[in-house]
Amino acid sequence: MKNIVKRSVFAVMAAVACVAVQAQETFPGRAISMVVPFPPGGVADVTGRPTAIALEKVFKQPVSISNRPGAGGAIGNAAVANAKPDGYTLLMALSSITVIPEADKLFNRKPAYTLDQLAPIALISADPVILVVHPSLPVKTLKEVIALSRKQPGELSYSTSGVYGALHMPMEMFLHAAQLKMRHVPTTGGGPALTQLLGGHVTMSAGGPAAITSHVKAGKLRPIVTWGAERHPNYKEVPTFKEQGYDIVYYIWAGLFAPVATPESVIKVLRDGVRQAVNDPEFKNQMAKVNSPINYLDAPDFAKYVDADAKRLAAVVKVVGKVGP
Amino acid sequence: MGETFNSLMMGFSVAFQPEVLMYAFFGCIIGTLVGMMPGLGPLAGISLLLPATFGLNPIIAIVLLAGVYYGAMYGGSTTSILMRIPGEAASVMTCVDGYAMTQQGRAGPALAIAAIGSFFAGTFGVIGLMLMAPTLASFALRFGPPEYTALLLMGLFVLAYMSGGSMLKTLAMAVLGLLLGMIGIDVMSGYTRFSFDIVELGDGVGIVPVAVGLFGISEILLTAGQVDPPKVQQPTLRQLIPTKADLKLSVGPIMRGSLLGFMIGIIPGSAHIISSFVSYGIERRLSKHPERFGNGAIEGVAGPESANNAAATGAFVPMLALGIPTGPVTAVMLAAIMVHGILPGPMLIQQQPDLFWGFVASMYVGNVVLLVLNLPMVGLFVNLLRIPYAYLYPCILAFCILGCYSVSNSTMDVWIMLVMGGVGYVLRKFGYDLAPVALGLVLGPMLELSLRQSLAMSGGDYAIFVQRPIAVTMLVMGLILLGLALKPLIFKSKDWRSSVGLDKTID
Repeated sequence: MKNIVKRSVFAVMAAVACVAVQAQETFPGRAISMVVPFPPGGVADVTGRPTAIALEKVFKQPVSISNRPGAGGAIGNAAVANAKPDGYTLLMALSSITVIPEADKLFNRKPAYTLDQLAPIALISADPVILVVHPSLPVKTLKEVIALSRKQPGELSYSTSGVYGALHMPMEMFLHAAQLKMRHVPTTGGGPALTQLLGGHVTMSAGGPAAITSHVKAGKLRPIVTWGAERHPNYKEVPTFKEQGYDIVYYIWAGLFAPVATPESVIKVLRDGVRQAVNDPEFKNQMAKVNSPINYLDAPDFAKYVDADAKRLAAVVKVVGKVGP
Repeated sequence: MGETFNSLMMGFSVAFQPEVLMYAFFGCIIGTLVGMMPGLGPLAGISLLLPATFGLNPIIAIVLLAGVYYGAMYGGSTTSILMRIPGEAASVMTCVDGYAMTQQGRAGPALAIAAIGSFFAGTFGVIGLMLMAPTLASFALRFGPPEYTALLLMGLFVLAYMSGGSMLKTLAMAVLGLLLGMIGIDVMSGYTRFSFDIVELGDGVGIVPVAVGLFGISEILLTAGQVDPPKVQQPTLRQLIPTKADLKLSVGPIMRGSLLGFMIGIIPGSAHIISSFVSYGIERRLSKHPERFGNGAIEGVAGPESANNAAATGAFVPMLALGIPTGPVTAVMLAAIMVHGILPGPMLIQQQPDLFWGFVASMYVGNVVLLVLNLPMVGLFVNLLRIPYAYLYPCILAFCILGCYSVSNSTMDVWIMLVMGGVGYVLRKFGYDLAPVALGLVLGPMLELSLRQSLAMSGGDYAIFVQRPIAVTMLVMGLILLGLALKPLIFKSKDWRSSVGLDKTID
């Protein structure tokens, strides 16, 4: 029975591929829709919009943004994973795309989508997060943070954008690597997490450079260490975890995906298009304005990148396990 | 003071540039129209418009979006009053007495008072923002999870006073709202609750589809079920203008609502929704004739409408003074200036004085524009009621469905709205009051989250609520309110409800 289903799925896929091959000379022959699984104004949105504008110029076809927020990105991700694989529906996903199926597995939920339903096209941007503490906390270096936490086990606290969220994962990496225990105060987003830290209701948090920079300059937050593989260009004085002897790396990235059954020829057109788009001066200018470093990787490298990230984060999710009751 | 005045003049010189003025005007018009669409509120309005601002300069972008924001806050009251359809959660309370006034042929005064109250509250809010933003903002930051818990508990205790019917029925509806609020992913643990493998339910049940369904759709169904179709109204010009008595009754609620709304509005989070509920509860408590509430009391429109507009302005305090997004709306507005390379933060006022002061000045302008735009429009809006119900109601239903769908392109929201319409119809047939459902749904998840965040902060120690001065003050006030509400239940003495003949049995 299963075999028949499988075979018929393949048959359908083959048929779709045939249709697409016929259409390949003309791709893209009409407007492309880029799904952003978050509300307007978020990282995915401010990365997606300039990308869409640059792609329009390359393809000479409209590329429209469609915000499908909900369930931490799962709804938009699932919508593209199950979309018609013709290249006209694309996904601008964030790094959370690898964590959601892992969390679903952990809770024995029917997954909204799986990673192998999506074909990576290109990585657009990647930004490491930085550990910041409230200035009232008497620590200036990672060593002091760890020493203080050991002295008061389970007393220090940190806020995140939500359990298994983009700011929770790096904190758990750190706590696990340094064998520390802290109190976790999840909130409903990056903004509220930052507000809790600025108000001194928690002692530390992981934060994206764009979100924390003005507060660091005003002396309201103190940067300690970065999860980046190298020092951040705007934070030359802040060391990396690697320099401090902890082999942990974490980036929040944004990348373009298509449904996995999209024909190879169409994917190639898309890859070439994105390669030209990221070199568009106007695109570079817009990304610089939102403090989002361009970090372009083509499909094969991006696939490896996603794979490595998924493995790393799956391990973290397993270590964290189920929280609460 | 002199410095503030000079800065403000500089701000006005920015706001009165023809281009900026034009966009402020456009923003108000678009906002009012969006707000009038059932189901579409300020957040939907500015989210839809955000991409269009990326090509404008940052001052114009933020002025335009702010216009849309308070335009939509105001526009939401129009459909609440005329058709009992709340455009957003904050106008749920306006539905109750505003629509009752419409049924009595007094839609004109209700709309006029909403416009006047909004104008006063908006202006009051801008003055507060201008004079005290940095001070207030650092105070607002002291509101952590324990303070939030205390504030929300106080809001819940107000429930006991809110409803016109029996206490038991009110509490039953509040519990229904709380239960609806349980649906969705638990922020603390990641578990999904009551989602039945439907991904969309992972985010919980949104307040907008529930409110539109419970209030609007149920009203359409109830009207359809009447033997005689309701008489089409033909308001005369004299009926459009509030009477002296109306104005006199509204002064107090508008002032109290403005102050209360502004104070609640500056607190980071989504607490501003409760400002209109609390204002309604206070006005009813202070009124000499509480039995009029729910039956077309103009104070029940003036107070909550002022409160939600003042709260809307108050929300800009932490956004501008500290650069932190305090709620979804301010998050989108911050994004609008961030795409122009301006980093919001505590230095924003010093580094971008023309942005801050231009914005403040444009809010004065915007409030005047709204008043000038909307007072003469009252006559036009009221004339919508001349349309026979056989044509009007199918159109409203279509707009409700469109509005609900377009907020997040989700058919699930449309289903929730329709189901809630049916539920609302049945409950109203049995004489239940529906406002507590909306309040329960809004407060439940917020209260649960902040309570558990507080306990996460303290490592499970409840003492955190008595160690923090702001939290303990609010808790004591809340407990006093609760005591007052429970007194008639415990001592079988007479509640104000029975003394005015609203409730025969309290048990």
